[in-house]
Amino acid sequence: MKTAIITFFLAAAAASMPAPGDEAAAPASSGDRSMLDAEVQSLRREVVDLNRDLFMLEEDLLFPASTQVAVFVSMDVGTFFAVDSVQLKVDDKEVANYLYTEREQEALKRGGVQRLWLGNLKAGEHEVTAFFTGQGPHERDYKRGTTLKVEKGVGAKYVELRITDTASKLQPEFAVRVWE
Amino acid sequence: MLGRVFILAALAPFADAAPVVEQEAIPGLPAVKVQDLHYGDVLFHFFQDDHFDALVRLAAYRDQGRLAAHARDAELLRGGLYLSLGQHREAREIFERLLADASTPPEVRDRAWFYLGKVLYAAGLYEESDRALRQGGGTLGEDMEAERRLLIAQGLLQRQRYDQAIAELSNWQGPRYWLAYGQFNLGVALVRAGEGARGLALLDAVGKLETQWPELMALRDKANLAIGYAKLQAGEPAAARLALERVRLTGPQSSKALLGAGWADAAAKQYEAALAPWQELQGRNLLDAAVQESYLAVPYAYAELGAMAQAVEYYERAIAAYDAERGRIGESIGAIRSGELLEAAMKAGGDGREGWFSQLATLPDSPESRYLYHLLAGNEFQEGLKNYRALDAMAENLATWQQSLGAFTDMVETRRKAFEARLPAADARLATVDVATINGRRDALQAGFETALAARDIAALATESERAQLDLLDAVDAELARHAGDASYDEAREKARLARGVLVWKLDSEWKVRSWQASRALRELNATVYDARTRETASGRAREGAPEKNAALGRRVERISPRIVALAVQVEDAKAAQGRRLADIAVRELEEQRQRLDEYSVQARYALATIYDRAAAAPPPAAAEATP
Repeated sequence: MKTAIITFFLAAAAASMPAPGDEAAAPASSGDRSMLDAEVQSLRREVVDLNRDLFMLEEDLLFPASTQVAVFVSMDVGTFFAVDSVQLKVDDKEVANYLYTEREQEALKRGGVQRLWLGNLKAGEHEVTAFFTGQGPHERDYKRGTTLKVEKGVGAKYVELRITDTASKLQPEFAVRVWE
Repeated sequence: MLGRVFILAALAPFADAAPVVEQEAIPGLPAVKVQDLHYGDVLFHFFQDDHFDALVRLAAYRDQGRLAAHARDAELLRGGLYLSLGQHREAREIFERLLADASTPPEVRDRAWFYLGKVLYAAGLYEESDRALRQGGGTLGEDMEAERRLLIAQGLLQRQRYDQAIAELSNWQGPRYWLAYGQFNLGVALVRAGEGARGLALLDAVGKLETQWPELMALRDKANLAIGYAKLQAGEPAAARLALERVRLTGPQSSKALLGAGWADAAAKQYEAALAPWQELQGRNLLDAAVQESYLAVPYAYAELGAMAQAVEYYERAIAAYDAERGRIGESIGAIRSGELLEAAMKAGGDGREGWFSQLATLPDSPESRYLYHLLAGNEFQEGLKNYRALDAMAENLATWQQSLGAFTDMVETRRKAFEARLPAADARLATVDVATINGRRDALQAGFETALAARDIAALATESERAQLDLLDAVDAELARHAGDASYDEAREKARLARGVLVWKLDSEWKVRSWQASRALRELNATVYDARTRETASGRAREGAPEKNAALGRRVERISPRIVALAVQVEDAKAAQGRRLADIAVRELEEQRQRLDEYSVQARYALATIYDRAAAAPPPAAAEATP
């Protein structure tokens, strides 16, 4: 008897779980509902595709490959450095000054790479300088700069500013790498 | 009568014994060493739960060929992103394509099977989901593997294959978080399979779980509520109360637990004790079924205690409360019809991040927002609002692009004009550059150097002053030759011979160094000339190609503009339809509530009338007691 009552109780509970046939068995309005759901899905797909096309158009228009330079920030582990902000200068002119939120810091630590700056530079040699501020070892305020001469050719140029941990020195290290 | 009602009210929370399957963030992405910066950029947005932006960038970078080193991971992520946005069809297509590709490595294949299983599960295709989930094991991470096992078991529960679900979950050892869900589901499966005692023992273990995870606290509450009501049904009020007391007072199950605790006391004839939890409920929102029932339960307890005056008072209070609530529901239905509910829902929802739902409980008591929390507790309204929000975000996105597109058109036009303005000056500059002549001179130098090398012509590598010295010595020798045989010139001849010897010795001894330096200088010259030629070609191409390139960009802007306009119209229409649908759901739900309140009100009036009838029929002392 006891089992029967419990079974009734749990079976009734399960009845409100979504089941395969629920949609078809529902009142007439469910047809409109699933049509509307399908329409929302289809619209979202179209909006994603449109945004993709616009994203590429914007880049082609504003930053053509012949002059495009992108500067990225990445972080490896981040034990010895928690980045608060980064200031970026190209040929001694400030082009980006970025303050990081907690979510962004976390995204960097998990392997995300931030496209910090996308701009245009003429062919030839340019100097890229970045200043990082944040919390260093023992929660001390930490500021470090790193510089690199970049030769801009005819194709797009990508520069990675990488914050790494050097376990031997228990210090963060800031490296710059140029990607073709 | 009351018993039937309270059991029905208490059943509602057991709809779900699993973590959210469909809309969660994509778990278990393996640690990635980024080999394409642009893939890292996608992850940067993905890790911030900005799934729409991550998907757009992923699609754009893929089409631009910037994700070559992560092609398969990127596809897997794209499928996962579509899944998280509720786009099941696209997600399924992507996973199936990955699995059809024989070169897909096993770890990507395992994850693709797993995600495909999730897509199919969310679509209610449990058989197919089961098959997909059983394919993808082996290389999954601990959490993903646990979720896979749990999904298989849930699919079996959905198909009422309790014995198989029990076999799947028995002796399973997963991470603690998932294990609790596994135990809960196993408990449910056992009870449904007729093994009530074993099932309840497992639910009891979940009900005593010590945890700080909010999700597990909620699961613990559900388990305790399930045990409490099961024990109540089984006629074990003491055991029921023990379990119900473990439910948190502030959680979503607390009202039902309080109601059940009161019924446990009532079942043990402890009516005075039952009054405490029931009266606690009366301060709560009257749309909660448990609260509605408490308005009938309190006077029932007073009546059982023989306190007829209080019973009458509380029945009257119940009738007044039901009537007032029905009035408020009427006001709210009006507000909903005029669209105010959606405005309130959009404002209250914030960005839809964690915690926003509980904040709804504290919204101001106005007709448009009063029932929002209650409505959002319903899956249908919540799903509908999610769609409405998505459409709203799309509309905003399209409006922003529409503005940008105007700027794009201006930019193309400005660029065309600037090019035309600069063209004469650029052409003039290009005309002064003669790379072909420079190239010819470079070739002559190269040939001369190679001849000198072959003949070891040391004079060819002499500096300008050395060449002058050699020329001078040649002139001296010629002059001396005219005086051949004249002894007075012997000293001069000797000096000239010595000077030539010194110069030749110097040129000869430095031959190696000089030829190496000359070779290097020629190489540098080659590079410079190459650069000049490249730039000349690029300038020529730019000169020729720029107008066409600009025109092509202009055409792209022109082509995309109507797409934005058409989509914006469709999105607005869909948003309006979605709004109407939400209003219908809300009104239907509130109408049901109003009807239920009507029924309760009738029950209260009936009970009141019964008390009055008894009082009228009773001898004078009892009648005096029953008078309100």
